[in-house]
Amino acid sequence: MAFHSEFTKGIWRENPVFRIVLGICPTLAVSTQVSNGIGMGLAATFVLLGSNIIIALIRKGIPDKIRIPAFIVVISTFVTIVDLFMAAYTPGLHERLGIFIPLIVVNCIILGRAEAFASKSTVWMSIADALGMGGGFTVALTIISSIRELLGNGTLLGFQVLPDAFSPAVIMILPPGAFLTIGALLGFFNYLSNRKST
Amino acid sequence: MKELFKLTIVLTIICALAATALAFVYTITKEPIAYQQRLKKLKAIKAVQPDYDNEPDKQFVDIKTGEGDLTRFYITTKGDTPTGTVFMVSAVGYGGTIDLMVGLNPEGSITGVQVLRHTETPGLGAKITEEKFLKQFIAKNLPDTNWSLKKEGGDIDQISGATISPQAVVKALNGGLTLFTDNKDKILEAG
Amino acid sequence: MEKLVVIILSVVLVNNFILVRFLGLCPFLGVSREIKSSVSMGVAVIFVMTLASICTWFIQYYLLVPYKVEFLQTIVFILVIAALVQFVEMVIQKVSPVLQKALGIYLPLITTNCAVLGVCILNIREDYNLLETIVHGFGAGLGFTLAIVLMAGIRERISLGKVPQSMQGFPISFIIACLMALSFFGFQGFFSHS
Repeated sequence: MAFHSEFTKGIWRENPVFRIVLGICPTLAVSTQVSNGIGMGLAATFVLLGSNIIIALIRKGIPDKIRIPAFIVVISTFVTIVDLFMAAYTPGLHERLGIFIPLIVVNCIILGRAEAFASKSTVWMSIADALGMGGGFTVALTIISSIRELLGNGTLLGFQVLPDAFSPAVIMILPPGAFLTIGALLGFFNYLSNRKST
Repeated sequence: MKELFKLTIVLTIICALAATALAFVYTITKEPIAYQQRLKKLKAIKAVQPDYDNEPDKQFVDIKTGEGDLTRFYITTKGDTPTGTVFMVSAVGYGGTIDLMVGLNPEGSITGVQVLRHTETPGLGAKITEEKFLKQFIAKNLPDTNWSLKKEGGDIDQISGATISPQAVVKALNGGLTLFTDNKDKILEAG
Repeated sequence: MEKLVVIILSVVLVNNFILVRFLGLCPFLGVSREIKSSVSMGVAVIFVMTLASICTWFIQYYLLVPYKVEFLQTIVFILVIAALVQFVEMVIQKVSPVLQKALGIYLPLITTNCAVLGVCILNIREDYNLLETIVHGFGAGLGFTLAIVLMAGIRERISLGKVPQSMQGFPISFIIACLMALSFFGFQGFFSHS
């Protein structure tokens, strides 16, 4: 497969959040505002890119038995790097994402891609895969957080979008709103693909 | 046996490389992180007591509260005359603990209040973070103010739809002011 | 003592790991089809969470802090949890084949359960002492079990009902979770009247 198709599959056809339903915890937890959603998406993309590259590079030197611990070490190294850099240069975002930055380690998307893709592919393809999956994750986070911020606060990226007369549905930025948003979105996407196939 | 040896070696090398990389990143981000943390503290101090030219984060005194915890009073001075003090107070609100930063002048009147941390309900209790609510506390002090909400006959404006959160703020401020008054000499002496 | 009660009530009801903090959603959705297996999963999680909380607490304060390498926290904690899960699995296999049969397939899933790493990191961030850490770890597992068993109960009923085709599977589970989160939201303000 070409670079291009490895990249685009993550965005839609195999979108980790909407199609495979992975990485749900951070998706729901940080999507209260668009800036958090994008920040989280980019942080996870960076980790995914780093770990995919390293794992594709060293995959031949790693005995099969210690594959998973080795992957976890690589992934958590990149997570810590992101954590430290965010604390140093984007302290506000770092504080808002809080515990979910170290928890990128256990984001199933990243270990999943290491195991399913990077450990069997070339560096170049692994980069495409990481960018596609990371991009798909970021897109999903952006969509969910846009809906929640717009309905729950009347703003987008902090700017007032809806008129003052609109009374924000606060529940959308509370935990129940997160479950409602993703449930409705997944149902909607199912509806679309069901209709296409019949 | 030989295989076990190999596995151990490989995993050790990976861990050692990871630790080296992290130690390197840690050293280059250490300074900026410390700087950001200091900046955050100074910003919080400045927001509630802007009138100083010293380094209040390096000039402080710890006072024991009634419960035995320590409260840190940062001292602000201007040209060596004390202009006031800044400290943190907290109380339990609706969703959890509310931490506030309070600034006082030497006479014990409030110069500013900021919410540092809270878990109140967005749209209701969380309105305690709004300027509109917080600015009413400026210039209030212990003796001349009735520290309860208006609907309970006090002097503090409430928030529609939320009682417990503003009550918690009032309680925290009242406690903080009392602590200051009880230890006024000790605090201002440190300046 | 009062603080311990507050911690356990808070983590089970007010700040439930699944429904309020969004930790551990994967097993919550994956292993909640029937009550029996969800109870097994819950027990396994309570056990691992309590044990992991204790281990990581000691590692943090007797290893990472004295040697000033707190920045290795994430990497060390996740490796400890992974090793711990493996170890527990081996012990259970030796000691009790019955338990092994009941919990066996759930244990490996727990390593990548973000709730376990989450509870360990939260213990440190909240500055809990050892006793508070144990109570918090145990309570977090209990809250997880409560949520997953309730969910399984509802899903057992739902499986008999007619769900629109597009909403079957994950979507309806999320809607159920939404309604559960809504009712757990009522526990907010639990402590404000004390």
